[in-house]
Amino acid sequence: MFHLLHGLYKRCTQKDEYFVLILGLDNAGKTTLLEQARTQFNPAYVGLNPQKITATVGLNIGRIDIGGVRLSFWDLGGQEELQALWDKYYADCHAIVYVVDSGDRDRLGETRDAFAKMIHNQHLDGIPLLLLANKQDVEGCMLVAEIKSSLAAAGAPYIGRRECSAFGCSALVGSGVREGVDWLVSQVKLNTLRPPVNGA
Amino acid sequence: MGGVISYFKGFFGQKEIRILILGLDGAGKTTVLYRMQVGEVVTTIPTIGFNVETVTYKNNLKFQCWDLGGQASIRPYWRCYYANTDAIIYVVDSADQERMGISKQELVNMLDEDELRSAIVVVLCNKQDLPAALSVSEIHKALGLDALKNRTFQIFKVSALKGDGLDQVMEWLSNAIQATK
Repeated sequence: MFHLLHGLYKRCTQKDEYFVLILGLDNAGKTTLLEQARTQFNPAYVGLNPQKITATVGLNIGRIDIGGVRLSFWDLGGQEELQALWDKYYADCHAIVYVVDSGDRDRLGETRDAFAKMIHNQHLDGIPLLLLANKQDVEGCMLVAEIKSSLAAAGAPYIGRRECSAFGCSALVGSGVREGVDWLVSQVKLNTLRPPVNGA
Repeated sequence: MGGVISYFKGFFGQKEIRILILGLDGAGKTTVLYRMQVGEVVTTIPTIGFNVETVTYKNNLKFQCWDLGGQASIRPYWRCYYANTDAIIYVVDSADQERMGISKQELVNMLDEDELRSAIVVVLCNKQDLPAALSVSEIHKALGLDALKNRTFQIFKVSALKGDGLDQVMEWLSNAIQATK
């Protein structure tokens, strides 16, 4: 009897789980973005002090329950050496968030190359892509349109086979993060190519 | 009663954080432990049993570090220490390519345990001072860390002998543990 009720309870409360991969060069602000998203969507969560966030070598996990689903974020390290590890996660993810440091004009070429390499991977066919131009609070930063056109050219034929969107944001201040997450939720729900994992 | 005392102790900012230092024999666990505690390289012999030391970080965080023996015959006893562990420091000998597979297997077995479900994992690629040391991404692949998709972990390049990288480990651990509390 207990098992029956327990099973029913679980069935009623279980959520579809989607995995979201956060990628981008080192120092783009991926971990700060994740901490910001967790803080905004989990009222009880006390985030890390952004000043204390160091370079990720490994994996950070963050879960957000929103709109009847659960988003599980995988935040990977962005250093050049670690980019070789990104593709291990492609087959299991439901959406990609690509973060660019808008204040760092010198590395735009580098981030474009990393982006092109990622978007050409066949495991990512049809996976929604969210481009975040981070650090919009920095003075003299590149505009969203500028970054978007640069990356769009690099990923040309492949980028069109999926839902895409670009937002400006500031992970440090918190602007634009909510819009990005809301867009992600709507897209992963619509994407029938990769169904969610049940029973979170 | 003990629970009540430790509850009130929490008000004075003296939380003891329980950390296990694990890894194969010869990985350098004991050297790491004493490097963190006294900041010196001590002459070690293979650990049979365990060493336990309290490491204080920035005067307000106390790490209770358990360094368990890593030989094949005593690895089954690691599980006796799993309960209430906040973090695991898994030490790998970066130059020991032959036994990476065994190291991977021990890590996988350990992380399967229910008692360690919420523990934070730190992988130390030790002995980076040796010329034959593997890089972080090579060790990531060799240990199959991409299979670890449901917990936060961080990899550090260290040399316990030279003392490189251990400060960053302590810094990261203290931040990560305070964020989960």
